[in-house]
Amino acid sequence: MNYRSYFKAEWMSLLRRKQDTLNALLFFVMVITLFPLGVDPSADFLAPAAGGIIWCATALSVLMAVEGMYKEDYNDGSLEQWLTSGLSVTFLVFLKVLAQWLMVVLPLLLVLPLLAQMLFLPMSVLSVVMLSILLGTPALFFIGSIGAALTVSLRRGAVLMLLLILPLYIPVIIFATGAVRAAQMEMVYSGQLAILAAISLVALTLSPVMAAISIRASVN
Amino acid sequence: MNLQLKNLWIERGERDLCRDLSFSVLNGELIRIAGENGAGKSSLIKAILGWVHLEAGNLEFNGEDVTQHRDMLLQCQLYLGHTPGIKSVFTALENLRLYCPQASEEALEFALDQVQLGAFVDTPAAQLSAGQKRRIALARLWLTDKALWFLDEPFTALDVKGVDALEQRMSDHLSSGGAIVITTHQPLLSLAPKVIELVA
Repeated sequence: MNYRSYFKAEWMSLLRRKQDTLNALLFFVMVITLFPLGVDPSADFLAPAAGGIIWCATALSVLMAVEGMYKEDYNDGSLEQWLTSGLSVTFLVFLKVLAQWLMVVLPLLLVLPLLAQMLFLPMSVLSVVMLSILLGTPALFFIGSIGAALTVSLRRGAVLMLLLILPLYIPVIIFATGAVRAAQMEMVYSGQLAILAAISLVALTLSPVMAAISIRASVN
Repeated sequence: MNLQLKNLWIERGERDLCRDLSFSVLNGELIRIAGENGAGKSSLIKAILGWVHLEAGNLEFNGEDVTQHRDMLLQCQLYLGHTPGIKSVFTALENLRLYCPQASEEALEFALDQVQLGAFVDTPAAQLSAGQKRRIALARLWLTDKALWFLDEPFTALDVKGVDALEQRMSDHLSSGGAIVITTHQPLLSLAPKVIELVA
């Protein structure tokens, strides 16, 4: 195994297990579609709330996608092969998260313009929402991968993972929705986006190392 | 190649799996780790490979301390465990290609042929039996150039043909100067193993 063959295999595996990606996407669409029906479908309410609605749906969809990230690898012995391959487990984690991120976030961005129309989000703000998703979701995936690695050997690890991970999602959601709100008020939003990018960079740097340590501990 | 294990002490919970265990693995040697279920055979292999904690003892590979230079050992070995990392969404050929990306298509098909999977090259692993999945993993043994093999119960779920093919491949590997550490209940008398007996 080498890094290239691993990434290719991971990508192919995600393509063949389409239901996982579709579940996250479907969940995202359903939350955004049903929310106005349950609260208030008027433009006066939805337009200011759109950023928050989109970001909460995004965070929950990402959680759905990352929860079982290592489960199959744990069950079929792939994680043992990672540990004995002589390759860097940290980099294998990075490649896995990268593949998952591409597979979940790209379709989500594709459907976002349509959903933004439903939420009366102005086109000028849509680009900021998309940018915030591009900059913020890597943090969600990388942080989520630590929780998934920590709980991979537990039979009912999903709840524990939520408890571990959700508090760490809060800053990302706050700064992302802050950027969207600033854009809606025609204020400067580059600061919030810069902080989002910084959080993602920190997560990208630290979380593969922490997830690799967690995997080693879980497989033991 | 010279793997030296000196005074190993491995603990699982409150129980000692082994204490003061010493042996060496040299070129052309087959080490059979024997013992009852739960005696710690798999844990011993995992401890050598570094993901089960050693309470005490020294591991040296070609004169270097393995705890300091783990990568050196990992680069030279092939490990096949109880669950050998076969992806059910991939075909037999794709699974093998994942682990042996440098091998040509002909070589991959040849290896699958050696484990009697020639007719299942393009069959998804999800549609194969447990024994056939294990054979996909074992096909790696026909493609690898690693000198040291760690095989954890490789005969599980194999039929007679599979066992014969694997024994022949192991014999060829030992003849060419390779070494094997294996956990199995098979005596493997024809391969004249050095036996390490663990007590449960």
